Amino acid sequence: MTSDPMPTPQELRAMAYADGELSDEETREFEREMLDDPALAREVAQLRRLEVLSRQVAGPEPMDAEWKVLAEDPWQSGGTSVAYGALLVGTVGLGICMVVGILVAETTPLVKLLLLLVIGGFTLLLVLTIRARLRTLPFDPYTKVQR
Amino acid sequence: MILVTANDVPGRQVVEVCGLVRGNTVRGRHIGRDIGAALKNLVGGEIDDYTKLLAESREQSIDRMIDEARALGANAIVSVRFSTSHIATGAAEFLAYGTAVKLA
Repeated sequence: MTSDPMPTPQELRAMAYADGELSDEETREFEREMLDDPALAREVAQLRRLEVLSRQVAGPEPMDAEWKVLAEDPWQSGGTSVAYGALLVGTVGLGICMVVGILVAETTPLVKLLLLLVIGGFTLLLVLTIRARLRTLPFDPYTKVQR
Repeated sequence: MILVTANDVPGRQVVEVCGLVRGNTVRGRHIGRDIGAALKNLVGGEIDDYTKLLAESREQSIDRMIDEARALGANAIVSVRFSTSHIATGAAEFLAYGTAVKLA
């Protein structure tokens, strides 16, 4: 029988930080280290995720089994993916048609430029927002909470 | 950290009141979930997307309230209360607040 390896001093400090057991000075020092070491920050995020999930003491409800069966049903999951895919393609397509419509429309170049700037600005904001969310998602310990 | 909705912790004496502590967050689900939730609203039943949304908000608010209490040197929070506010479509603020105390 093998047992889990003993936690390293760094892991113990990460656990203490996640539990709020470090002194103020040690906390500040550890937070400075996390800024320079993304792996350390991810480890603390993982520990916080476990701590949040451990508070979910209620057992599964009978309906949870039905939700699980539904989620694994190929028609439900496949159909949902197709529906969201169609929505995404349709939205992007409409956006492209809008841009083309603006370019070929009989209006002043200034109006065309301004409209394209607005669309381009919103698109860039959307891309940057998605990028920011994807980067911070691993550090959000609450995404696994169900109820 | 002991959290209770009562005004005191039976069997433990409050030796110091550290003050009001609170934690809040505003979270939303992504637009795909919002569309799904709007459709589920048409047919009735639990909208599990929003159940999960409020559950995430609840846990984050509690953690922020606990962090504030720890910063004040408290080891318990009494009279814990929760409050929600609708901020925008698909986004709600969840507020947890209470009185941070030191128990003997």
